[in-house]
Amino acid sequence: MHYSMEPTAEAKYAAFEEKVKRTIFVDNLSPQVTEPVLKKALDQFGTVESVSFIPNYLEAGNIPCCALVEMENAEKAKKVISSITQFPFMMAGMPRPVRGRLAEAEMFDDRPVKPGRKIHCRWLDPSDPDFEVAKKLKYLTQKHAAEASFLLKQQLNREEKLHNQQVETLKANFKKYEMIIGVLSDKTAQNLADHYGMRISDDS
Amino acid sequence: MVQANEIESIGFKWGKKRGIGGKKKDVQFYESFTYDDVEYELYDSVYVYAECEAEPYIGKLIKIWENSDKTKKIKILWFFRPCEISNFLEDDKTLENELFLASGEGAGLANVNPLETIAGKCNVVCISKDSRNPQPSNEELEMADFIFYRTFDVGRRVILDKIDDKIAAIDIKFLLNRVSIQKSNAVPDSNDNTTANAAVADVAADKNALPDSNVSSASDNEKIAHLTPSLVKQKSSLGEKHASNLGVELGEMAKKARQESMSNDKISSRSKGDPVRGESKAVKVPAIEFQAEKKVKATMDSGRSSDRPSKQAKLDDSLKASDDRKKIVQKLNLDSGGSDVKAVNRTATASEEKSKRKLTKDPHWTENISSKKPKLDEKLTELANGKLLEESPREASNVSKTANQKVEVTRRPEADKSKWFKRPPWEERMQNAHAEGRLVLLQNLDPSYTSAEVEDIVWHAFKENCTAKMIQRTAFSSPHSGQAFVIFKTSEAAKIALTKLDESCLLLSNGRPLVGSIATLRLPGKPSTFFGHIYIDKLRLQMQREMKEAVSTSHCSQPNTIEYDMAMDWRLLQERVDLEWTKLYKQQGQELRKLKANLKSK
Repeated sequence: MHYSMEPTAEAKYAAFEEKVKRTIFVDNLSPQVTEPVLKKALDQFGTVESVSFIPNYLEAGNIPCCALVEMENAEKAKKVISSITQFPFMMAGMPRPVRGRLAEAEMFDDRPVKPGRKIHCRWLDPSDPDFEVAKKLKYLTQKHAAEASFLLKQQLNREEKLHNQQVETLKANFKKYEMIIGVLSDKTAQNLADHYGMRISDDS
Repeated sequence: MVQANEIESIGFKWGKKRGIGGKKKDVQFYESFTYDDVEYELYDSVYVYAECEAEPYIGKLIKIWENSDKTKKIKILWFFRPCEISNFLEDDKTLENELFLASGEGAGLANVNPLETIAGKCNVVCISKDSRNPQPSNEELEMADFIFYRTFDVGRRVILDKIDDKIAAIDIKFLLNRVSIQKSNAVPDSNDNTTANAAVADVAADKNALPDSNVSSASDNEKIAHLTPSLVKQKSSLGEKHASNLGVELGEMAKKARQESMSNDKISSRSKGDPVRGESKAVKVPAIEFQAEKKVKATMDSGRSSDRPSKQAKLDDSLKASDDRKKIVQKLNLDSGGSDVKAVNRTATASEEKSKRKLTKDPHWTENISSKKPKLDEKLTELANGKLLEESPREASNVSKTANQKVEVTRRPEADKSKWFKRPPWEERMQNAHAEGRLVLLQNLDPSYTSAEVEDIVWHAFKENCTAKMIQRTAFSSPHSGQAFVIFKTSEAAKIALTKLDESCLLLSNGRPLVGSIATLRLPGKPSTFFGHIYIDKLRLQMQREMKEAVSTSHCSQPNTIEYDMAMDWRLLQERVDLEWTKLYKQQGQELRKLKANLKSK
């Protein structure tokens, strides 16, 4: 029975590889973005077959969401990426744009086992010549993980900073426009224009 | 919008002439050329665009010429990645960035390709202790994208430690490290060049929107330098010796980053330094066109060999071949017990898988294989025979040894059954396990392992059944260390496993000792705040109300708006962060490589 299953395992993997090719990875997503929002947003570039969010169980804090979006074919997937890259693409808010790139096999939760791969494992005794090196490798792995989480924190800090900067800029701009609307609506502008003999109405 | 122009403007210039050849003396050979602002010379290592493969091929330029019809051609002697010849590697350990130079005679040694298939320069250093090989300096090793010291004989399909005097009729001294180039090889420069060139149209737009990008990136790099002390602090709390090193290393990293941002006045979209991920769009865009050309070439070639069987026939044949192997496998396993059958079976299918992959990979290669087909059948059976005869005594001796034995991870007995009943959703099970102390986080797994394979590893290592889930990769995941959640049946089992992992070492394939810890779980649900979406206070309530019901809330931002300018700030931040991640992981990869080189066993 096992033998007859082998070809299907390979066919399955080949089908999976095809799926990877027609899927895009989208990140910098606001938590407001839901599946229908994402589907609707990308449907304009081609048919969205499926959407699955990649859950974040590990990192604390405000990591933006990310998701895999499967398109009808690889060509469409590339088109979506180039479309949302050419102009900043806003989803459920602004001005932070979402970002798209081609998906990779490791991004998928339900990927099949790659046929034909061999994995070996071996317990090392403290007497083994490699024991010390392996120990060091373990430390290094932990150190690297700490480095990565540090960089991630740093990234979030910078995102927060940029956010705050932009809030200020926008506030200032808004105030400016409000003032312009103000002087236009309470006739101050009109009065001044009359006084100096200028035309300011734009219906000419 | 500007992309089309970008492609056309990719610069090309011939360099030094070499001689003429061909029947009518109408073929001009060259020694060098400049393509896309990168200068290539004979015997340079290059990335070659590969269709259907995530990673580009790597090879050495061994001939460069222009035909009378102005088509530019290159002959490439291939390097193999370990994964491409994993069948023939057996248990050989490979270094993380190791390549194998093709040698011998037969399909897969070298191919002629259109020059335009080159996707970039690649720095491959030969670390062979061979006296003919000028030894690389430490600096050069640091800079190397890949290294090699062994060759793969494509005819006999074996790994060779010794390097022949001639490969593909080229004297070996041209294929090893170059003496003259050794010092002057400005690798970082060439990298920077390519990065700058890879900048996509929209990034150029980035630049316009942000006139002082240089200044700000410099200050950002300084920031990295600032991080250093605090990182060290964090480290020392881990109680680890490497802490002091780390500071220096990170400092270096910052320095490098600065260098790069100085020479790049464009900040590239995705550093081309890692085309490995197959994502750098800029490379792909032009290459797609040339791919078509390549295909045409392939079909033309196939016209010549009239006996070329159809794809279908080829696959059937390889299937047959592996069937043959299976039979032998069965026979040989009769006395060693049924439990091994599956494992060897996997090996058998690997060859089949292989031939399929090659089918998509290289038209020339597959063509040749198929023309060799009648022989291949025999060869495969022969090969299987030889391998198994070798393997079975080894297995036997392993059984007698108890400690330190290397176990091949096969499917555990109940593995297939588990799919047939439905379990509560993963999130719920994970939370319960977390609350009961049964949830373990494994690190340093090969990122390409699947959840099922992790379960198998746990079963083989601890004789415990568990449920596992590989953590899905995102934009910032480490390419070196894959992580997985594992739910054990009891908290005792989890504790025992963790203690064992901590005190002893479980070494997985490719020199990866497994790291385990009690998982800390983030509360599920979406993050509460999100930076980057701004609302004007007065309009906020109304907008949020609208948003709740709205489904269609997306748009492309148009230039000349405040929103567009602000979006460009975000784009710039995104690119910069990407660059930092690439740097960090490159650095980590080098550290790992150095350490792994000390492993003695395979």
